Amino acid sequence: MTFHQKRTLTAWGFLTPFLVIQGIFFVYAAVRAVYFSFTDYNMFNQAQFVGLANYANLFREANFLKALRNTVAFSLIVTTVQTFLALVIASILNRKMKGIGFFRSAFYLPSIASSVVITVIFLWLFQRRGFINFISGTIQSLGPAIVTAALLFLLFQTGFYLYERTKGFPIRFFDAPTGLLSFFLSLGITVLGTMTGIIDLGPGVDVDFVWLQTRQTVMGIPVPLIAIMIQNTFTTIPTLMLIFIAGLQDVPGSLYEAASIDGAGPVRQFLSITVPSIRPVLFLVTTMGLIGTLQMFDQVAIFGDAVPQESVITLAYFVYDRMFPGAQLPEVGLASAAAMFLALFTFAAVMLQRLVIKDRGDV
Amino acid sequence: MTETTQINQQLLENWHRRRRWARAGIGYTLFIALTLVFLSPLLFAALSSIKTDPLEYPPKLLSPQLNPRNWVQAARLGRQGGENAFFGGFTPGSTIEFDITYLTPHSQTPEPPEVIIPKRRPGAGLGAVFEETYAADYALVGPVRQIDQRPGSKEIDGATVDGLLTTYGFSVSYQGDGPRISRVPLDATVPPGQIYTGSTITASRIERRGRVASFDTISPGFLGYIFRNYQRVFQEAKSITSGTSLFTNWFGNSFFFALVRVITNLLLASMAGYALARFTFRGRHLVFMLLLVAQMVPVQVIFISNYLVLRDGIWGLSNIFGTPTLLNNIWGLIIGGAGTMIEAAKVFLMKQYFESLPRQIEEAARIDGASEWTTYWRVMFPMARPALGALVILSFQGAWNEFFWSFIILTSPDEIKTLPIGLLSFRQIYGTAGDWGLILAGAMLSALPVVILFIVFQKYFLEGVSFGGTKG
Repeated sequence: MTFHQKRTLTAWGFLTPFLVIQGIFFVYAAVRAVYFSFTDYNMFNQAQFVGLANYANLFREANFLKALRNTVAFSLIVTTVQTFLALVIASILNRKMKGIGFFRSAFYLPSIASSVVITVIFLWLFQRRGFINFISGTIQSLGPAIVTAALLFLLFQTGFYLYERTKGFPIRFFDAPTGLLSFFLSLGITVLGTMTGIIDLGPGVDVDFVWLQTRQTVMGIPVPLIAIMIQNTFTTIPTLMLIFIAGLQDVPGSLYEAASIDGAGPVRQFLSITVPSIRPVLFLVTTMGLIGTLQMFDQVAIFGDAVPQESVITLAYFVYDRMFPGAQLPEVGLASAAAMFLALFTFAAVMLQRLVIKDRGDV
Repeated sequence: MTETTQINQQLLENWHRRRRWARAGIGYTLFIALTLVFLSPLLFAALSSIKTDPLEYPPKLLSPQLNPRNWVQAARLGRQGGENAFFGGFTPGSTIEFDITYLTPHSQTPEPPEVIIPKRRPGAGLGAVFEETYAADYALVGPVRQIDQRPGSKEIDGATVDGLLTTYGFSVSYQGDGPRISRVPLDATVPPGQIYTGSTITASRIERRGRVASFDTISPGFLGYIFRNYQRVFQEAKSITSGTSLFTNWFGNSFFFALVRVITNLLLASMAGYALARFTFRGRHLVFMLLLVAQMVPVQVIFISNYLVLRDGIWGLSNIFGTPTLLNNIWGLIIGGAGTMIEAAKVFLMKQYFESLPRQIEEAARIDGASEWTTYWRVMFPMARPALGALVILSFQGAWNEFFWSFIILTSPDEIKTLPIGLLSFRQIYGTAGDWGLILAGAMLSALPVVILFIVFQKYFLEGVSFGGTKG
């Protein structure tokens, strides 16, 4: 045996466990899924070839169409919102400072827990008399105070800005080092004002919004699905933000300084420097977001009977539901067709997204 | 002229220094604020998981369980009742001294409460299935006597009610011989008009328009008082067939699953990664493509066939484990699925790492006459320690939090479930009863191991972020 032959044999030896397991549980499984999708198999019968009937039948299923609509809405909204917010927060937080490691860990902590733990906690927060309704009621009743504080902040900030300008310091409004001072001053005065009763908070607002057991929709999107959107966005942002911060730290600060000298404000800098220079990271994050959201399953399964099923059903859950439909016979053929559809749909979405992000860069 | 520019220069320098400090201040304020925002659901859930009623409205951050006065009393009562300051209880011959205070408005005359030890089952759901010994069968409540009276007032719905504060004392003693009993529930009922203001330990619930002060147990012990919901998680949810604690079973199953998965991934993924990084052979690109595709195809595509394969015991191979089918079996969870014993992402991670190591080391080992296996096992494997660390942590976290496969494979009985699936059954059993204390305590307990792991090995987790991977 030559040296080269021996090496080849060793390589295959090292790869054997991997190949055997992938062979049975991935290749064979994927091929079988394709095969099932063309048959009427139901786990108990002899599979008959039915051509494209399953695929055609999918689009006659009311639940599949609902699942498709829910999935597309969920994926589009959540991916957009979480990517945008994560990027904006990351670029605000993009500073070199001591102790950043600690904050990184703190931001990552929420994504340590399992989807069951997080979803169960949010189910509790979304109860009719739960924390989410309470906090939105509190914010509404604090309305006057928040407006007062915002106005006071602008007032103080303008005052400081004009003062420093007249002194001849090179200052921009949002870069004013007095921001923190203005913030605490306006906060303090507002708190004093509410305590002495000068700012009237009015009666407490009692929000009694039903998040879960409802068939209501907001702008065509079922309310329980919105609850899952909020949960998903909230728990994914910290992770995405971390990836963005890592990407942003590689952007040379001199670019921002140059733009700043040319008189570009923060928004202009964000659009002209930040976004183009981290396009690869942006691509990674949106791809992750798309794949994760298009295949959302856990939350639907965990919400379970706490919400009407058709409000939250997704493509991934539809597949599961047809494999394990409770008292009825499993529709393996239809489930496989739906699974194939989901795979192709994910692939197409990622490709499309790649085109969009590339195109913007050429402009 | 030079004088003024110098001063201006000095001023400007000061201003810049001030500006840097202020920017740092703004930065830290923002970071702390965001940290609090992102951690708030977890922190709030952790605080609420010790409350008797986590659904109380409006929600409060502080609860009687956080009051040190109650801790001291709970420990004292636990010692009196069960000679156990930590977990309390009720043992033969013990006597618990208890007092309770009511406010009586001036228009009324104070009347002592009627005190009974009710036969109350612990919670709803699984806890209600089991017969248990009740404290009511052994406890004797001594006479209720007035021990203090003084004028006082209490604020109710914004209005101050003046009256007499009367404290009543009584004792609960264990009569005769009998088993050790874990809890002593108690109800104290007063005529309408009197207002409960306090007791040795704060009442668990106030019912029937304030007339009944209800206690889950008056002999809780220090830990039994603060972590009552946690105690309930272990005590109440028991297997109907074997009587063992379900939660303990789930913990064990999750640990076993995670441990096996970590070991198989550690060995097999590093072997495959090493082969892909260091050997050139025909078909290498095909294997590499398989690696990439395996990471992209949704699990919904492959789970159908895998479910059937496991159901039939992998063509009869499962008889080695002495079982005809691998469904509802922890081995099914370990073996089944392309992403369990060896995850494609972990092979990828190891391949990338091995490629970054210098080739000279292996060549040196080979010249020294080491076999291929020895070179890998004695030289390369130990050198990959940083990547292996990340692999171990990420595999453990992945296994500990695994949901989809366990959800499909482990359906019954309850004992064979892993923590996430078990927690889901908690949600189904107790969620409808509104018993969120138990659910939240279960959630906190099942998140605890990974959180501890994270605090110790943060570095590896954060490295994992850059390797991608989303949360569903």
